[in-house]
Amino acid sequence: MPKTSSSLSRGSAPLWSAATRKALVALIALAPLLIFIGIFFLAPIGAVVIDSFRNNDGDFSLVNFSDIFKEPIRTAMVTSLSLASVSALTAAIPGGILAYLIESRGSQKLRRIVASISGVLANTGGVPLAFMFIAAMGAEGSATGLLKLAGIDIYGSGFSLYSFWGLVVVYSYFQIPMMVIVFSPAVHGLRREWAEAAMTLGASKRQFWTRVGFPLLFPSFLSATLLLFASAFSAYATARAMTNGTIPLVPTMIGNLLDGNVIFDEVNLAKALAVSMVVVTLVAMVPYLIIQRKSERWQK
Amino acid sequence: MNFKRVIAVAAASAFALSVAVTASAPSQAAVNFCKVTDLKSAGGMDALVAAAKKEGKLNVITLPRDWANYGEAMDLFSKAFGIKITDDNPDGSSAYEIQTIKTAPAAKQPDVVDIGVSALNGVIGAGQAKLFANYKVANFAAIPSKWKSETGNWYGDYNGIIGISYDASVAPAPTKIADLANPAYKGMVALTGDPTAGQEPFMAVYAASVANGGSVTNIKPGLDFFKKMKDSGNFIATKATPENYIAGAYKIALTWNFNAPGMIAGAKAAGKNLKFVIPSDAVLAGTPYIQAINAKAPHCAAARLWEEFLYSENKGKTSTQLTKADLKVSGSKLFNLIRGGQNIFVSGGATPILQADMVAKKTLISGPTGFNVPSGAKVYQPTPDQQVDGKTVVSSVWPTL
Repeated sequence: MPKTSSSLSRGSAPLWSAATRKALVALIALAPLLIFIGIFFLAPIGAVVIDSFRNNDGDFSLVNFSDIFKEPIRTAMVTSLSLASVSALTAAIPGGILAYLIESRGSQKLRRIVASISGVLANTGGVPLAFMFIAAMGAEGSATGLLKLAGIDIYGSGFSLYSFWGLVVVYSYFQIPMMVIVFSPAVHGLRREWAEAAMTLGASKRQFWTRVGFPLLFPSFLSATLLLFASAFSAYATARAMTNGTIPLVPTMIGNLLDGNVIFDEVNLAKALAVSMVVVTLVAMVPYLIIQRKSERWQK
Repeated sequence: MNFKRVIAVAAASAFALSVAVTASAPSQAAVNFCKVTDLKSAGGMDALVAAAKKEGKLNVITLPRDWANYGEAMDLFSKAFGIKITDDNPDGSSAYEIQTIKTAPAAKQPDVVDIGVSALNGVIGAGQAKLFANYKVANFAAIPSKWKSETGNWYGDYNGIIGISYDASVAPAPTKIADLANPAYKGMVALTGDPTAGQEPFMAVYAASVANGGSVTNIKPGLDFFKKMKDSGNFIATKATPENYIAGAYKIALTWNFNAPGMIAGAKAAGKNLKFVIPSDAVLAGTPYIQAINAKAPHCAAARLWEEFLYSENKGKTSTQLTKADLKVSGSKLFNLIRGGQNIFVSGGATPILQADMVAKKTLISGPTGFNVPSGAKVYQPTPDQQVDGKTVVSSVWPTL
């Protein structure tokens, strides 16, 4: 009875189409991850955002955000932004050159060694990092002493570890290796054949770099630099251990507002500062994502 | 579940039940120690000690062993009463203590807290006195009324004065705060933290102010002094911690007197010679730190015994003097045998809150020499209200020092 059977199947069409079912299965498979992200990422961010719009009495208010543009927070914001930019640039250039030299000249073995060392160094941070530098490059540090023996008195020439530039030096300890890690794949993707093709067509080495190599690497370089910016912008424990608040930075200010023994009634201001940092990081990450998408196209 | 296991579980729970019944039956079956508000309602010292011993544990929070001789206080209490003490985050802040009470799960709740006056004001200002349980220690009446709540919700325990810790190699040896600007000390002077975050460095700025023509109502000259020292390179922004001192990161710091004996001993063990002097140009006393019992304390009897112990004026035996034979006496006798917390603070260089009472009753032991207020010196002490004003000035000036 073909007729009835076909009419039957038409009448009891499946509850979900194949595509919907597929999406549903994917959703169930993803559920653990989504729940995890929801609990540990989205919920806290939501709570912080909501509290940041509340004054001390718990009422809706923009006072926390207007405080950001007042002293001393304005200075802290400016200093944090400049520290992050300077640290990103001063690490991106040597780190980029290093990545290029290792990828283009180094042996397979050297590349592997550098990759694992960079992995360790890029994750060194916090109070131990500050302590390492204080022990080495403090006024009485071992490296300072050795340099003095060699006739170079870094403190005599005005350097101080506990300054803006001191922080730049300390941050470079994890920033340069991070650059090597992030930038190496891009250099690796720069194929030898392209250089050969350019040379065959009569390009000089210089022409290859200005017309082909550099334009190809630049997006990756820029996106890696933005990543370094975000990393320096959010660094907290090292800065706290090395500046005692004498260099105003947004992360240390948040720490003082939340966990200080002196100021107790500005928790929501701390949350507004955190939100503003999220915004800055997002603004820095948007071009990163756009550039990343562009540069992926030719790496394929 | 098989039959054997059922039997085993039943037997075990019956045994546990019988142990619990026999242990709790005799004396204090009716006493709920979480509601006890003084020694009398606890049924006396013997009953309190017995109940605390049965709990067997005490959760304290943010007590560094070096700080005001708390290491000895914990050792002695633990040894005398057989109570295991857990110290959560020894280097944490007062804010951490309050946050933990508000948010931590039951098992991680502290039994007692030791917080700064600013933190206390934060709690009271937010109408959260119910965070703490009311309990009046036996010596409650002797605590100056300025430094206790009428209901026994909180009370001051000890305070300190700001002094100069310095490495013996420093020449010339500093004797007053104004000395710290000496060009010979370039790259040597540090604070124990950020004065906008820590009470100790905050008070150090007050001390610098008094030494430079300021007062407890005018902290600005202290900030100017640090600005001058920063510009000359004398003041370095590293934290004055024992590790940094041993690493040679700084040589001179302004610290509480009650932290100096512990730091000196630690430095000696590391082969360093640390010295301490009370500055001749400013004797600045901090406001007392505050004791309170957590309303959610997991060990209610041990928490109350700890407070009785901290406010005891006994001269008694220290943790090293206490012998095994001593432990056999009754709870109240044992309590009277051991050194009280107030004198433990004294031997750490701190000023106990009951000092006046102890002088009158001749129960005060002599602390280490050279760590306390020189006789005849004028003592400056900013009130909590003055500190609120000072904090506003410091938090706007310090970040742009």
